Amino acid sequence: MIYGKLWTVVKPTVGIPIFIAAVAIASFSVHLALTLNTTWVKAFLNGKAATAAVVVHMPIDSA
Amino acid sequence: MSDRVGPSGLTDAQSEEIHRHLIQGTQIFAMIAVLAHLLAYIYSPWLK
Repeated sequence: MIYGKLWTVVKPTVGIPIFIAAVAIASFSVHLALTLNTTWVKAFLNGKAATAAVVVHMPIDSA
Repeated sequence: MSDRVGPSGLTDAQSEEIHRHLIQGTQIFAMIAVLAHLLAYIYSPWLK
C-alpha cells in the first residue's frame, strides 16, 4: 500500500491525533463559515421548512 | 524484511497494518460525508 511504511518513521500516537485534529478543524471551519454566511443552515437548525437558495436576477448592463 | 524497525519503533508490517485501518476509516468517513452532502443538496441546493 502506498505510504504504508509512514508509521515506521512517524509515531502513530503523534501522527494519528494530528491527522484527526486536522480533519476536525477543517470540517468545523467549513461548517462554521456556512452557518455564519448562509440562511438555510440556521433555518434548518431552527426547525424551519426547507429554503432553497435564492437566485438574484441582475441585468448584465446594470453594473 | 518486515522485521525491520523504523525510528518510531514499529516494524514495516505493523506500520502497514495501522495504515490499512487509517485508510479504511478515511474511506468510511468520506462515504458518510458524501451521503450527508447529498442529503443537504437535496434539502437545499446551492449555487443554482
